[in-house]
Amino acid sequence: MTEHVKPPRAVFVPFRMGHHFGVPFHRELQRRVITDALDLVTTATESGTIVDLPLTWAQARREGIAIEQEGGRR
Amino acid sequence: MTATSEPGQLRPGLWQTVNDRYPGSMITKDGLVPLAPLHKPLSQARLSFVSTSGVQPRGTLPFDVVHPVGDYTFRRVPSDSSPAQLEIHQLKYPTDGAHRDLNVIFPIERLQELRYEGVIGGLTPDLFTFIGYNMDPGLLERTLAEDLAKAVADEQPDLVLLSAA
Repeated sequence: MTEHVKPPRAVFVPFRMGHHFGVPFHRELQRRVITDALDLVTTATESGTIVDLPLTWAQARREGIAIEQEGGRR
Repeated sequence: MTATSEPGQLRPGLWQTVNDRYPGSMITKDGLVPLAPLHKPLSQARLSFVSTSGVQPRGTLPFDVVHPVGDYTFRRVPSDSSPAQLEIHQLKYPTDGAHRDLNVIFPIERLQELRYEGVIGGLTPDLFTFIGYNMDPGLLERTLAEDLAKAVADEQPDLVLLSAA
């Protein structure tokens, strides 16, 4: 979809639909998706740049479950 | 209606499938817009956020999520809102995560933190949402896209973060 829309700059996250910024209560991950996107504003050199963030849904879920088991937020 | 599968596409043939099932529903773009450089440091830049999540302030007119051709309106979400002041009217994507922590699809608390920490210079007074289920691309371009672009521009952001849902 991202390739079809042809945005000038984009980051791609391999997350579930409806969870583009990560998993519940994982503040670090939610923030990272935003800041990595904002970094592209200054680092992209040509329109159409799409960066695949080195993240996985499995890892995000594992970390999210751990955060909730700790009873906190990270 | 144009097939637009490209060699690098993650799911080759996807657009052909969409075009076959929903004729005329896809907007096809041939070119890229030029990069617009940011003319000030990010720490001084005012950010706006546009999302297809259908998030809206509680008590505002719900999006029409069951209309067969979609809802071509948008909502303003004050950027100082708390998640408790917001709700989602949307049936077309999984909202189980968002109902536990809205930030997974509408990261308003993370954006507020970036503003307070000075990573960004500020947020526009309002952020913007609409729903992604709009099956008439011509109508979308003539109405929602134009109306929303004007509303966002009127808030004078230096950059805009866009997110699908």
